[in-house]
Amino acid sequence: MSIAVLGVNHRTAPLEVRERFAHALHEVPGALARVLEAGAAGGVLLSTCNRTEFYLAEPQEAVPEAVWTLLGERLSGRGDRGERSAQPYGYAERDRDAVRHLYRVSAGLDSMVLGESQIQGQVREAWETSRPQAGPVLHRLFQSALLVGARVRTETKLGTGTASVPSAAVAVASKIFGELAGRSALILGAGDMAELAASCLVAEGARVTLVANRTYERARAIAEQLGARALTLDEAWSHFADTDIALCSTAAPHAVVTWERVAPAIAGRGGRPLCILDLAVPRDVEPAVGQLENVFLYDVDDLQAVAGQAAAQRRGEIPAAEHIVNEEVERFWAWYGGLAVVPALKEFRERLDAVRAVEVDRALRRFKHLPPEDREQLDQFSKALLNKFLHEPTVALKAAADRGRGYALLEALKELFGLERGDGP
Amino acid sequence: MLVYLHLAALGLYGLSAALALAPFAGFPVASRRWTLWVAGVGAGIHTVGVAQLSLVGTGPALSVLAWCLVLLQIGSELLLRAAAVALFTAPLAGGLVGLALLLGLAPGAQPSAGRNMWFILHVTLSVLGLALLALAFISAALYLLQFRELKAKRFGQVFQLFPPLERLDRLNHVALVAGFPALTVGVLLAVGYAVRYAGGMHVDPAQLVWGSFTWGVLGWTVWVRVARHWAGRRAAFASIVGFAAVVLVYVALKLAQPGTERFL
Repeated sequence: MSIAVLGVNHRTAPLEVRERFAHALHEVPGALARVLEAGAAGGVLLSTCNRTEFYLAEPQEAVPEAVWTLLGERLSGRGDRGERSAQPYGYAERDRDAVRHLYRVSAGLDSMVLGESQIQGQVREAWETSRPQAGPVLHRLFQSALLVGARVRTETKLGTGTASVPSAAVAVASKIFGELAGRSALILGAGDMAELAASCLVAEGARVTLVANRTYERARAIAEQLGARALTLDEAWSHFADTDIALCSTAAPHAVVTWERVAPAIAGRGGRPLCILDLAVPRDVEPAVGQLENVFLYDVDDLQAVAGQAAAQRRGEIPAAEHIVNEEVERFWAWYGGLAVVPALKEFRERLDAVRAVEVDRALRRFKHLPPEDREQLDQFSKALLNKFLHEPTVALKAAADRGRGYALLEALKELFGLERGDGP
Repeated sequence: MLVYLHLAALGLYGLSAALALAPFAGFPVASRRWTLWVAGVGAGIHTVGVAQLSLVGTGPALSVLAWCLVLLQIGSELLLRAAAVALFTAPLAGGLVGLALLLGLAPGAQPSAGRNMWFILHVTLSVLGLALLALAFISAALYLLQFRELKAKRFGQVFQLFPPLERLDRLNHVALVAGFPALTVGVLLAVGYAVRYAGGMHVDPAQLVWGSFTWGVLGWTVWVRVARHWAGRRAAFASIVGFAAVVLVYVALKLAQPGTERFL
């Protein structure tokens, strides 16, 4: 009876290694089947860009090897089996530590961006994808992990604030406009960061209306994805008169948004604020543009400062979050211990009752002269004696299970009486 | 009883002010439920006190003004999540209640006027108009502070705790647009009261001057916002200048004619 987690994450492996381990959803059942073949009662595979982890119920000794071999193959490529080992990048946790690990993951405590909420959806997706192979223990474990994640987010401020540059961009724009629903955004350039920030703005209800780029084709490709209109850079300057948010992320080696280009358009805004988010390095926007009335200009450093502040605030919430995690680990372990107590007690009773039956039978063979009523009395006496002997340990074990300490006593019981080993009397 | 009710309200407004100011002193931000609860209980107790007041004299008028300010603070928080308004309204309301207690809550000149419905409505609506002008000033001040922080790229407590610029601008607009009709009806009721009960109450020229001036200032700020479409920083400056002028004229008139029997 045990739970284990084996895997790699952003702390133990660099991106180029982690991306080799990442499993697409359709690969999960096959990978799990291979690991379960090595001997485990259930498994869940959690695979994101930051981690690939196998959660296993009652794994046998051959299971870790199966996991590292499977991951090693992905590291080396299918053609050269075993050439590179995955184990140096990995870690393994068992029992309470494995449960704690999953709870910390679900709460965002183990994430690259502390407290990020995306992981909760990924844990849910992993559980749902692996459900046919998970088994009852992991089913319960993953359900509780999602509840722990929700509890941490509700009862602490671990998930508040903006801990990444794109979300900081949204936070800054929100401090100017309040609700972003219905606000128009202009994207300048085709950088990944701008696309990411644009998707964050769209998620808040903003509309990307224009995409401008040095090459019109690239602008059109992004504009089609976002339902916007494509422009060349030279066509974009006049639109600074009517857009609310400008996201700049060109690959230009110098500032392209200059005072001369946009000041005339901005002068015609009638006092409406304009938020310019310059996500390019080197910067796209001349600092002088930020001096214009009602223009709020922020570059990557500014947004990183916002994100950094939120991260510092989140770090202060770690003790409270860890406290919740520990509390829930004990709660799960109490359930898990109780789950195992019932069949173990049943087996223990059956084992001792078999011994009793053999010994009573042996005694009765020697006392053939006894009348049937006395023979019956002797049998009843042996049963009553056994029940008396078993009463205290049964109550103590159940009570220990209720307190979450059943697992240790159970292990002792198994060891002392040779349960689950078939060591008969 | 009246004094005890005001003292209880004063304590709760003080606590409300402390909760609003706490994050700026390094303490954690109080939960929204707590801040609303403290201000709400204070306003509830104060309502019982205000209901027992005879609205004649400086003390009662200040008490009603403080009561209106706290109700507007609660309304701003509930409708626009503008908790930062309490930074100004809570200490201001506490100060006004304290001052009212010092000046005395008993009616001054012509206590019979305090039982006249025209007069009660005149005082209530005029004070509400004035409180809304004060709210416009507060939202304008918060706007300018947040504007400065955003322009300067400072992401400290003001950035974190103050509402977005757009919301503060809307609060300023709503306060002015709601304040003008309230004050207008208040002034008209005063005129009607003077006509209907001619000789019943002495109307001082100072009251006429300040009432007309306040109405004119509020009218001007509404006009520039609604007709001239001023918004943002320009509208904020207009609100601040207007409110400052109203307060300065009141202080000047009061210094010229001291006494607590009348509001003016």
